Amino acid sequence: MSAGPTPPAPSGARIWRRALLVWAGLILLLGLSCLAAWAPLGGWTSAVNLGLAATQAALVAVLFMRLDEAGPLVRLTAACGLFWLAILFTLCLTDVLSRLANA
Amino acid sequence: MSAAEKLLLREPWDGLGLPEESALARQRAGATFGIWIFIASEVLFFGAIILLYTVMRLEHPDAFAAAARETNLVYGTLNTALLLTSGMLAAVASRMNEGAGARRTVLWCLAATAGLGLAFLAVKGIEYREDIGRHLVPGPGFPLPQPPAQLFFAVYWFATAIHGIHLAIGIGLVARLAILGWRDPAFLPDNPQVEVSLLYWGFVDIVWIFLYPLLYLPGRAG
Repeated sequence: MSAGPTPPAPSGARIWRRALLVWAGLILLLGLSCLAAWAPLGGWTSAVNLGLAATQAALVAVLFMRLDEAGPLVRLTAACGLFWLAILFTLCLTDVLSRLANA
Repeated sequence: MSAAEKLLLREPWDGLGLPEESALARQRAGATFGIWIFIASEVLFFGAIILLYTVMRLEHPDAFAAAARETNLVYGTLNTALLLTSGMLAAVASRMNEGAGARRTVLWCLAATAGLGLAFLAVKGIEYREDIGRHLVPGPGFPLPQPPAQLFFAVYWFATAIHGIHLAIGIGLVARLAILGWRDPAFLPDNPQVEVSLLYWGFVDIVWIFLYPLLYLPGRAG
């Protein structure tokens, strides 16, 4: 988070070019998700689809929600959300998976 | 400080006696930090719903695959594309708003973002009608034989409805900016409210990006 003067804004054409490029990437990943859902990947289907979703989410968070230009405080806040989420999933799934493995 | 910047300053930033050039920059930094804290708390809210889904799916993998096959992949994929496109327009509006002279582009991008959000809700409404017509609602008359398939649809209805409510709030926020900006040429340029509203929009996009593979894609192969 910076309260100082901001660098000069990029030109409109550059903003559009960059945004459309990211959008094309997102739509391509959406197409890949559909293909992966039908492909014979066996147990890997969910992992591949969630990996593609995580890539899409990272593109939106970094390039559309401007984490690439954000200061350390904002980046830390975003990372905190993921950190607590990781605790939630890890502790809960440790219990559930160990019960399922011993069922 | 210009008259337009004075108009944008809010409590407490207007009364701190800060140097003119830094008051609005500090207000913007505070607003961005605040919405990110809200987004981090929302990550945990939606994370808990997805964790519930994960646990139930680990316990009933076959029933969840059979149930997910019943969702309408065409509507789901179309809605994902609509939201990804709206996210791009929101990002363009947010960046364009930080230089003078692009007010018209910002207005169009805001209107198109809200319009694509409305299109998403319309498609979701058509999909809900079809789901209800096929009795894909937990309770008597549920068409699938496996009882845990009803758990999948309990999560489906809950998660998509909560996401829909978030999106409706986002449409309201973005439409408000478009209307106020259209009425008053000094309202939009450099206004921190634009970035705050569009960061919220980006988060609602990300929630759907994860709901799509969880609710629509399992059980399609084989």
